[in-house]
Amino acid sequence: MSTLHVVSHSPFTDSRLDSCLRICGAEDAILLCGDGAYGLHNAALHTKGIKVFVLAEDMQARNLPLPDWADSVDYPGFVQLSLDYSKVNTWL
Amino acid sequence: MSKSLLVISRQAPWSGPSAREALDIVLAGGAFDLPIGVLFMDDGVFQLAPHQDAKAVQQKDLSANLQALGLFGIDDVFACSHSLGERGLTQPANAQSLDSEAIAKMIDRYDQVMTL
Amino acid sequence: MKFAIAVFSAAHAPSSRRALLFAQAALAGGHEIVRLFFYQDGVYGASNNIVAPQDEQDIARQWRELVNVHQLDGVVCIAAALRRGVLNAEEATRYQRSAANLDAPWALSGLGQLHDAAQAADRLICFGGP
Repeated sequence: MSTLHVVSHSPFTDSRLDSCLRICGAEDAILLCGDGAYGLHNAALHTKGIKVFVLAEDMQARNLPLPDWADSVDYPGFVQLSLDYSKVNTWL
Repeated sequence: MSKSLLVISRQAPWSGPSAREALDIVLAGGAFDLPIGVLFMDDGVFQLAPHQDAKAVQQKDLSANLQALGLFGIDDVFACSHSLGERGLTQPANAQSLDSEAIAKMIDRYDQVMTL
Repeated sequence: MKFAIAVFSAAHAPSSRRALLFAQAALAGGHEIVRLFFYQDGVYGASNNIVAPQDEQDIARQWRELVNVHQLDGVVCIAAALRRGVLNAEEATRYQRSAANLDAPWALSGLGQLHDAAQAADRLICFGGP
């Protein structure tokens, strides 16, 4: 069983991404969207070694470059991701 | 067979209706005999602190809702030990304390999860 | 595949628009939406009284259109709605409030509908926050 975690809060003002990284499993993935996209250059995210996705429109809107260890997805991709993982945990 | 749901409650008791509304989801599930678990983490562990006085701020006392968990057949009540430690709280009487690794394994056992 | 989609934020929140676009993509991909459930501040998205600024997206209207066009089951949690002043005619009469601001295609109901949808769906997905 693997979980897709969805984070939309900026890690600069909010602790959700930190908490998510603390409790996520090795097979899990994180989708950054909204202000969560600002987490794309969070060092802890890269060193944790789990898959990282970012919603393309949020990266584009904020003019954030995509690091080579992350993948961007559009909405059909988001839908597919939610099915590729056993469950989706949105950090509301 | 019913799908199991874990509700992760992260808000302090009186930071708005979130703590209560998370418990309402848990209790509603219990009322329908669904397999539900609840994990208190981050500021959510403050909901478990003893001797609080909701009346002092004219807020709803959630301890009755917490006590109802058992009555509704919800025995899987967990607290994040890291969050407790960060906040200087001792092991709560009414929740099983789990470290981060145990939490990750525990989340894996549920079919669905919601984090409020 | 079947989705249960729960929305926890108001129509003006980016996450409500994100939920709408996710729902549209799911339907376009041939998937089914078992139920749309509005909870916490999500209930504001079902209000008839929203007047979106002319130069912004009217997400509440787009939600209504999505529900109507695809005949979706659009449910608003009654307890969350009452607390936030989102009432249909029946509740406005019951509580003697001056106006109703929720009607079709939205239905007020309890949290049981969220659980029911989660049980029926292959995936439960929530949207909220920014």
